[in-house]
Amino acid sequence: MPDSNTRPAFHKAVLGLNGGPTDQLVVHLGCQLAKTAGAVLVAVHVVEVDWRHELSDDVSTGDVGASAILDLAEGIAERYKVRLTADLLQARDVGAALVDEAIELGADAVLVGLPYRKRFGGDFALGAVVPYVFQNAPCQVIVVREPVASSEDRGSAGSDQPRGKQRQEVTA
Amino acid sequence: MKPWLHGRKPGDRRVRVERPHAPYFRYAGPGLLVAREAASRPRTPAGRAIARVRGMLFGRPLSIHEEITERLSKKKALAIFSSDPISSSAYATEEILRVLVLAGAGALLLSLPIAIAIAVLLAVVAISYRQIVQAYPSGGGDYAVARRNLPAIGSLVVAAALLLDYVMTVAVSTASAAEQVISAVPALADGKVVLGVGSIALITLGNMRGLRESGNIFALPTYLFVGSALTMIAIGVFRIVINGEGAAPAEPLPGAPEIPQAVGVLLIIRAFASGSVALTGTEAVANGVPAFNPPEARNAAATLAVVAALLAVLFIGITFVASSFGVLPVDEPVRRTVISQVAAIAFGNGSIGFYLFQTFTALILFLAANTSYNAFPRLAAILARDGYMPRQFSFRGDRLAFTSGIVVLSLVAIALLVAFGGDTHALIPLYSVGVFAAFTIGQSGMIVHWLRERPVGWKPRLAINLLGCAMTGSVAVVVLIAKAPASLLVGVIIPALVLMMLFINRQYRASAQHLAVAPDVVIPAPHREERVIVPVPGITRAVVQAVNVGRSIAPDVQAVLISDEPEEAAAIKQRWERQLPEVPLVIVESPYRALVGPMLAYLDVLDRTWPADREQPITFVVIPEYVARRWWERVLYNQSANRLRRVLIGRPHTVVVNVPYRREEEAQAEATT
Repeated sequence: MPDSNTRPAFHKAVLGLNGGPTDQLVVHLGCQLAKTAGAVLVAVHVVEVDWRHELSDDVSTGDVGASAILDLAEGIAERYKVRLTADLLQARDVGAALVDEAIELGADAVLVGLPYRKRFGGDFALGAVVPYVFQNAPCQVIVVREPVASSEDRGSAGSDQPRGKQRQEVTA
Repeated sequence: MKPWLHGRKPGDRRVRVERPHAPYFRYAGPGLLVAREAASRPRTPAGRAIARVRGMLFGRPLSIHEEITERLSKKKALAIFSSDPISSSAYATEEILRVLVLAGAGALLLSLPIAIAIAVLLAVVAISYRQIVQAYPSGGGDYAVARRNLPAIGSLVVAAALLLDYVMTVAVSTASAAEQVISAVPALADGKVVLGVGSIALITLGNMRGLRESGNIFALPTYLFVGSALTMIAIGVFRIVINGEGAAPAEPLPGAPEIPQAVGVLLIIRAFASGSVALTGTEAVANGVPAFNPPEARNAAATLAVVAALLAVLFIGITFVASSFGVLPVDEPVRRTVISQVAAIAFGNGSIGFYLFQTFTALILFLAANTSYNAFPRLAAILARDGYMPRQFSFRGDRLAFTSGIVVLSLVAIALLVAFGGDTHALIPLYSVGVFAAFTIGQSGMIVHWLRERPVGWKPRLAINLLGCAMTGSVAVVVLIAKAPASLLVGVIIPALVLMMLFINRQYRASAQHLAVAPDVVIPAPHREERVIVPVPGITRAVVQAVNVGRSIAPDVQAVLISDEPEEAAAIKQRWERQLPEVPLVIVESPYRALVGPMLAYLDVLDRTWPADREQPITFVVIPEYVARRWWERVLYNQSANRLRRVLIGRPHTVVVNVPYRREEEAQAEATT
């Protein structure tokens, strides 16, 4: 559980989920924070539609994977007994869709995951979404990092944080 | 076209995608859906109304993830598992005294030695059960032991005996609880049966709501009873030993026949058999070993020892005080139980202590009844899974309770309670025989276990189980004979239950054999020809829909009109040929006005005219059905269709297809017809 002194408070938070390894961490952290604050969560998965398709083309209704991402979040929230609704969106740009959705819903926090790539010595893959959300979200942004793989491999002795606390919270 | 949602910047548009499955299902993996609560919700107004009433009575439906799997500490386990055996001390002494009093006041002195002898038997049984607990830490008690070590018939006898034991626990405990209440409040004497039935109804409701044997619910009343009973005994012993108090020799019950002072051996045996009801419930710990905190077997064995010791102390203590003060069961003018009289002696008649003790006694007896609501449905569910009870017993209801087991247990217990007028004394002969039969077969299973496994130190353990088997077996025979003719009823009930279970098992095995698909066979594509018969009453939208469904099944479609009015039939045929020219209509005139018989005969004729060198085709009988809007309208329609469907269900090579036509489809049909 996060330290109550440094815990960011929110009433409604958007959880940006991409089907990656950080989804569970994002949902678990979101649920823990929401449970203590009595907040509401909205899990959002954005299917990026490239320029070969119309934005309104139905590319995700039959996409089991896309639905499964949100269903996973709903399942975790049910276990925490936290209110969570799920939104499946199609957009050209994931970051913009997340921020716009957060604004429309009146969310006061956005939680996104930051995956760790093992290739080329290992580094955090910032990509385009996280920086966009940092720069444009009108509310606090909480980034949940994936545990550093090299530290995991070395065991907890080599880690700069104990296991289970390997998430970094950045509030912008 | 879905509506676009505009973002803050031009071009930042997004579309919200509907997830039609989301309210009803959740994807849990590839090809794996988990139904949500909404999927189980009734869809009709009547169904929703029933669900609301059920919700008010039994609570909202629970998901299997909400199941409480409480592991019990020794203190909580003691409270839960001791309520059944310890509550026996509330009526066991009375059972001994009711026999001895027939032989006169002097015979009452024998109650203490008899109680001690029963306590010795309790010690042997408890040690035997400790061995069962250690040998079978996965629980299940006597049934598990018998199932693994004895032929099927042995385990079924144990199962039948245990089922009877659980039913009797409910009946006897609630009857005794009602008597305790009446002993404290004699004004309620006329409502004894109502009190008992009401208690069973309340316990049933609680269990249907998913009441669990939560340690907290059980702990307080159990410890209050044990504490107050020990206090009562201590006060009684103090007054007898220190103050030298005691009563004058007791008088026989009013109306009792004259019996010589000399106490016959038979009477002692009968008193022993009656008092051995104190042992009922001793097996409870062995049934629930997995509920203990680890190390489960060790904790269960320790708890069992404490339960047995407590029971022995309470039983001997109550008997000692009762016999010393010459307490006798009183039936007239109002029933007063022996334990209530002992409480009156210790705490003072009508004192707060007396009423509190009576309350605690009634409470522990209700809790003892409740333990059966956990054990009976579970055993029935295990038997159902093994194919010895109807499968409904293994299905869990909305609140995760084995609903069928709970309902059957309650109904049988209520029937017994009413049949025996809520009289504990009358019910007990049925109780003891089943319990001791289960004890004996369980011990026999352990004997086989030791002889087969032969672990280190098996010989002394075998000796204990041999002793236990011999003693409990002897007691079972003694109780059976001494408590005849009522006890002989058990000799009918248990074999009847075993026969019923064997019959059910034979049915299930036979159907399983019929339905079995060899695991190594690759199922080929269907190769049989198909034809469709549509029984029609005329030309209606429902008939047209059924004919179209038939055409989608196979090209060979025939409509058949059974008619007792040739002119009307001819008119229908003429219209049919004009409106449905591609589907032949066969008219079967039925001068005897029968509908189903000629239809069946026509199908038989079709089968007989099928070429002998070709495999019989599958005949789809497509029955048009009009779905009434309201439930009460349904009686007005489809009666012939229902009769036809019923007789066709078992017909070989025949598939019955119902094609419902709903009023909602009217508008749609208007456009096409």
